[in-house]
Amino acid sequence: MSFDVALILQSLPQILEGVGLTVQLHLISLAAGTLLAVGLALLRISPNPALSWPALVYIYVFRGTPMLVQVAIVYYGLAQFEMVRNSPLWPTLREPFWCAIIAFTLNVTAYTAEILRGGIQGVDRGLLEAGKSLGLSAWHRFTRITIPIAMRLSIPAYGNEMISLLKGTALASMITMYDVTGVARTIVSRTFAPYEIFISAALVYLALTWVIQQGVKFAERYFNRHLRK
Amino acid sequence: MLKSFIAAAALAVSAFIAAPVVQAQEVLKVGSECTYFPFNFRDVDGKLKGYDIDVADEVAKRLNAKTEYSCLKFDGLIPALLAGQFDLIAASLSITPQRKERMDFSVPYRLSIGQFVAPKAKKLQLFDASNNVLKQNFKGIRIGLQRGTTYDSWFQAIVPEAQVVRYETVEQMYLEIKSGRLDAIMTNPMKTYLEFLSKPDGAGFEVVGPQITDEKYFGTGAGIGIRKGNEALLKRIDTAILAMKADGTLDKFSKLYFPFAIYPIN
Amino acid sequence: MSVVIPWLEQFAKGAVVVLGVALVALVLTIVWGLLGAAAKLSGNRIAGAIADAYTTVFRGTPELLVLLIIYFGSAVTLTWIGKQLDPSVRFINIPPFWAGAVAISLIVGAYATETFRGAFLGVERGQVEAARALGLSSSQTFFYVRLPQMWRLALPTFGNHMISIVKDTALLSVIGLEEIMYVAERGMTMTNKPFTMYAVVAVFYLAFVSLIIIAVARLEKRLNRHLVRAR
Repeated sequence: MSFDVALILQSLPQILEGVGLTVQLHLISLAAGTLLAVGLALLRISPNPALSWPALVYIYVFRGTPMLVQVAIVYYGLAQFEMVRNSPLWPTLREPFWCAIIAFTLNVTAYTAEILRGGIQGVDRGLLEAGKSLGLSAWHRFTRITIPIAMRLSIPAYGNEMISLLKGTALASMITMYDVTGVARTIVSRTFAPYEIFISAALVYLALTWVIQQGVKFAERYFNRHLRK
Repeated sequence: MLKSFIAAAALAVSAFIAAPVVQAQEVLKVGSECTYFPFNFRDVDGKLKGYDIDVADEVAKRLNAKTEYSCLKFDGLIPALLAGQFDLIAASLSITPQRKERMDFSVPYRLSIGQFVAPKAKKLQLFDASNNVLKQNFKGIRIGLQRGTTYDSWFQAIVPEAQVVRYETVEQMYLEIKSGRLDAIMTNPMKTYLEFLSKPDGAGFEVVGPQITDEKYFGTGAGIGIRKGNEALLKRIDTAILAMKADGTLDKFSKLYFPFAIYPIN
Repeated sequence: MSVVIPWLEQFAKGAVVVLGVALVALVLTIVWGLLGAAAKLSGNRIAGAIADAYTTVFRGTPELLVLLIIYFGSAVTLTWIGKQLDPSVRFINIPPFWAGAVAISLIVGAYATETFRGAFLGVERGQVEAARALGLSSSQTFFYVRLPQMWRLALPTFGNHMISIVKDTALLSVIGLEEIMYVAERGMTMTNKPFTMYAVVAVFYLAFVSLIIIAVARLEKRLNRHLVRAR
């Protein structure tokens, strides 16, 4: 069996049709997940165990189970319940797109909360004490000192999470969606040339990863501009 | 340090490749879906059973060979065959002109038909009285199919504007039509009748429209798939299947699962 | 819930398969990780470039795709290699168990490369210099001084890699491996309870991951015992 390089190039235009969906899934889940993660991180570091324990359990469950299982439970699992099917949520949950978004968001929230927690706890205590002695309120200490520094510390890990999520969107193909991977699998089922088509799809993901990495580099330079000589 | 690692890795890889393949009896590696009741499925006791399996085993017996099965999702079977993961496919694979461009088939050992299944409550009208497709009635409804099947090709050619949702397995399709995500599915009526429509689960569902046997998309039936260039083996398989038809073995296998014959009688 | 009971035996079998793949993948991951780290640290530009390509490709491609490419492509590649060595070779294929283990190990190995590289750089140079001064050869220094200390530094992050290996096994049903997800997929239509079946799978993975976390924590304590101070 020969390796058909021409086929890799020929199938690229079709595969690129899936990019729109991949990017949508990625950006929406990332934004929603990060927003929720701020709240979850605060719960997690709260001194009140009634708040921190549920957060801990949530993070544990979503980081300890495969993303595929999470996606399958939201898409196939929820549809099992009559209550869900008869609820006003059904028109939304019926769509694989929203099921994917929900599953990805829940996952991103857990990972990002841990990243933010690491960032927040990484802020030098000395800086906070200085802020206190200068008379800054707790709220101001949090927003003017903790958040900016935590964000800077979190960038590398957050960049990894963005790439992880991008790779995770490929799982949408397992619930009937036509993202880059879904399109690739459909083409393969017609042309019977998995090697070439999947490599084509991989190249698309590598390009998208590169874009994310450039963004992260830019963010790192911006957030560290006070350290440049 | 680097050199010794590379040497060790190379040694491991070459050990993998150098495994000798010397068999006393011919072994036929067969790929199947293994989740397509009643043609190929794993029974509760874990054994692989079904019409396709029976036929493949019998052919092997007549060729004085053993069978070794690999289970794979349906849309992966042909690529895996072409890549050499196994030598034959026995998975209700329909003989279509499109597939014949890339692979060979034995003579058909089973009929290939497709039909729609939909909830009774929906009262779908997809065909008119003379069994022509009513294209406008396909708008806005979601139809489930298994990825890579002949039903997929039929849709692409006849009703490309329909909203088709592709699944990996038939089981997922049944779940989805029961939950209401799908308005209809297109699948093999013999199979669907046996495992779905005649069971309490399928009580609210019925077949819609005629049985479609368009040879252009469904081919002349289902046969054993084989890579091109294996004429000798193919001839032996064909001879075996024709003999099985003549001496009533195919009939016997048919009747194990269906009250009627499911192989082409000609 | 009781609907799950007849399936427990099948789930158990699937769990064993997952364990097997994870173990094999773990060993291979360490191999690729050490190879990659060695290549990047060696100063050899070609080796470094290959290792860089390796980490970029395998950290930037979805696991699902890597799995599919390796399963379908491995037979083609290996057969081609085999035919160069021995023209009478028919077809060399890799069963899904091994294709899956290799694919997972290559993916996590790319991350492990970076982890090991960072950990090797973290070993105090003074230790290496002292070892050489005492007359230890290059490989003795590596095995008795650098490697053990590298492990101590790498362990926390490598623990995460081990968890990744375990979670990636969930994808293997796509290439036909009859592991625990496969059982859930088959069972979900027959029992009409996909949520329950997948919940069982989730519980299994959580349990497996928990065991790894506990084991790694114990190992960390042991490796760091020389650093514990009296209060």
